[in-house]
Amino acid sequence: MPNSLTFTLVITGAPWTSQAPQTALMFATAALSAGHSIDRVFLYGDGVHLASSLSTPPSDEAHWPQQWSVFLKKHDIPATACIASALRRGLIDKTEQARYELPAENLLAPFEIAGLGEWVEGSQAADRTIYFHGN
Amino acid sequence: MTSNSTLHILNKAPEHPRYQACINALAPSDTLVLIENGVLSAAGNQLHAPCTLYALKADIDARALEAACENLNTIDYDELVQLTATHPKIISW
Amino acid sequence: MSTLIVIDQAPYGFWTGREALDMAFSLAAFDQPAAMLFTGAGVNWLRKGQRPDGVGQKSAEKNLSAAPLFGIEALIADEHACQQYGLTESTMLPGVELVSNIRDVLGDHKHVVFAG
Repeated sequence: MPNSLTFTLVITGAPWTSQAPQTALMFATAALSAGHSIDRVFLYGDGVHLASSLSTPPSDEAHWPQQWSVFLKKHDIPATACIASALRRGLIDKTEQARYELPAENLLAPFEIAGLGEWVEGSQAADRTIYFHGN
Repeated sequence: MTSNSTLHILNKAPEHPRYQACINALAPSDTLVLIENGVLSAAGNQLHAPCTLYALKADIDARALEAACENLNTIDYDELVQLTATHPKIISW
Repeated sequence: MSTLIVIDQAPYGFWTGREALDMAFSLAAFDQPAAMLFTGAGVNWLRKGQRPDGVGQKSAEKNLSAAPLFGIEALIADEHACQQYGLTESTMLPGVELVSNIRDVLGDHKHVVFAG
């Protein structure tokens, strides 16, 4: 019976389109309380919208990007948005802003932008890779 | 020990094509967990899973399906994590 | 052990299939064994003669035909879904393996992944 495992979490469902970011956060919190560790969170496809620093839900609604940001910082968990998914959907960090001469950047810390290699590496290295899809 | 069985995590409502694809893929030794819209299949007796079955309580409660799910084994997020820990192979549908 | 990337959505009307293909190509680029399963409406990826100029997209067929070059180990299609969508050997891309039991295919791979 395994005691402490490493997890990679992959979120492909967007906030306000699906429950994926919320379910993933509840799962992540429960995994840490059980003594497991989360090696990496990878946002793919529509999941990259979770990393927008510009999401502004009404103040009486849950703010999934902020909740994730706080969680990731508190537990020092690296989180990556897939670069191809992110650029297509307008999720831009400073480097890509400069590269494509764009008028703004909007990547919420501590999310970073990187390639699918992060996913390949994460899913090979982790004991478990769990996907959280949209509907 | 459940190590040679697959854990299926299903978040789709019964109308979604992937819902039936998941049900068709279940083997008797597998475990199915219904989460999110997946718990809607418990309403109106639509659910026929040939394997061990759980449903996530938070999603049942949110949708007021407690009565429809009274014959289902419900789990919380902690127990969902436990299931993922005991199953090396997991498919999220 | 191999990863099976599953495409169950039709090309052009959804983007998920393209992102699934990117996942498969990435695995292959990092020398990780990868295969692809086309099921449900996803089998429409496999139809020959796609001409998407009018919808302003790149050809899914052309993207997919690069799979063997990239090192994707197998393209597998659900036989029943192919029948449902009227796909026959003569209307399909070459080199696709038809299977009738999806459960066996899922069981053959360590990781089974949908792109979304």
